[in-house]
Amino acid sequence: MTQQAADVEREEIEKLLPWYVTGTLDCAERARVESYLAGSPHVCAQLDLIRAEREQAVFANEALGSPSAGALDRLMASVPTARPSLSRRVTRGSPFQRVANFLTAPTARGVRWTAFAAAVVVVLAAAITCLLVRHGDTYQTAVGQSRGDGVSALIAFEDEARAPAIARLLVEFDASIVDGPKPGGVYRIRLRTAVRPQSERDALLRRLAERRDIVRIVLPSRD
Amino acid sequence: MSRAADEASLIGRIAARDMTALRALLARRQVRVFRYILRLVGNAAVAEELTNEVFLEVWRNAGNFDGIGSAASWILSIARHRAVSSLRKRCEESWDQEAADALHDMGDNPEVAAQKANKGAIMRRCLDALSPEHKGIIDLVYYHDMSISEASDVLQIPENTVKTRMFQARKRLSKLLKEAGIDRGWP
Repeated sequence: MTQQAADVEREEIEKLLPWYVTGTLDCAERARVESYLAGSPHVCAQLDLIRAEREQAVFANEALGSPSAGALDRLMASVPTARPSLSRRVTRGSPFQRVANFLTAPTARGVRWTAFAAAVVVVLAAAITCLLVRHGDTYQTAVGQSRGDGVSALIAFEDEARAPAIARLLVEFDASIVDGPKPGGVYRIRLRTAVRPQSERDALLRRLAERRDIVRIVLPSRD
Repeated sequence: MSRAADEASLIGRIAARDMTALRALLARRQVRVFRYILRLVGNAAVAEELTNEVFLEVWRNAGNFDGIGSAASWILSIARHRAVSSLRKRCEESWDQEAADALHDMGDNPEVAAQKANKGAIMRRCLDALSPEHKGIIDLVYYHDMSISEASDVLQIPENTVKTRMFQARKRLSKLLKEAGIDRGWP
């Protein structure tokens, strides 16, 4: 093989490496890359670079948080208006089918009944709220409890870290894994700590990051 | 049923106006679509609205999904189209230079000085400084786990161009890292 042909072959293989690392090459391409890597240990060094790039790309994305609950509400509110010609839905069929059609198709009549039912729910909710306030009871919404209950973080563990050591670390920090593994071996954890100033939350995550024998990287998460 | 087949099935049910299927698809894909768009447009409020537009388009056009590619790549191709339309007036070349300049200009910031001790933080800052075109392919491959053919579907470009764009994005990343003081020895 000439030097020029060898350079072309090397560049073609290098172009495939990101997908080799993410495991999304087809069998033929994967075999081609593995065959090349077996004879070219200097190209193998690139795999570590790509793993590092991937890990940070995952962190950068995961740290972005999620759309607000309001965004989903706005979307769901606008979806029915996007339905084509719903007033021509089937109205014949068995009684069960008619009930099902009534519940699923927003005909003008259905919309009126839905609006009436929603109004009843709103009035009942207001009445219950007034009763609670009048009796001096305190309450908290489920959303408030989950949001205020701890610190969320993204974490990747060292390859050599063993499961018992990770479990002990999680217990020590009163943390649990709530999501993952994501691409690159990233997990989302929640530390069940009382709400604290931001400086204390940062200090808590720094203490976690100092456990370098187990933790490769930890970052705060918005979720 | 595989995840891909499951999502294709959801699209089929959405085409039949099944709201439950739309909610299931949202639960799976909304956050990732939001993040994909946010990484391209850089504004959370705009990304939220564009994400909603994407799923409204899925709701309206689910019947057009051919099932040849994956549902994930079909949805992200809509997301990309929306994001690019939103960015149409911005020149990608100047944006890239603007972002790269910002990377240097922030060198005196104490927070940045602290970050310099952390290679990962520098890498993330350099990833952020890539052009939308380069950042887009990096995210598709590394975060959304898209194969070459899926990325080709999303970006509407040939597979060889996908490979070349990823290669160029990685080279650009190495250049930014080198300018930030990290020489990776590649390319």
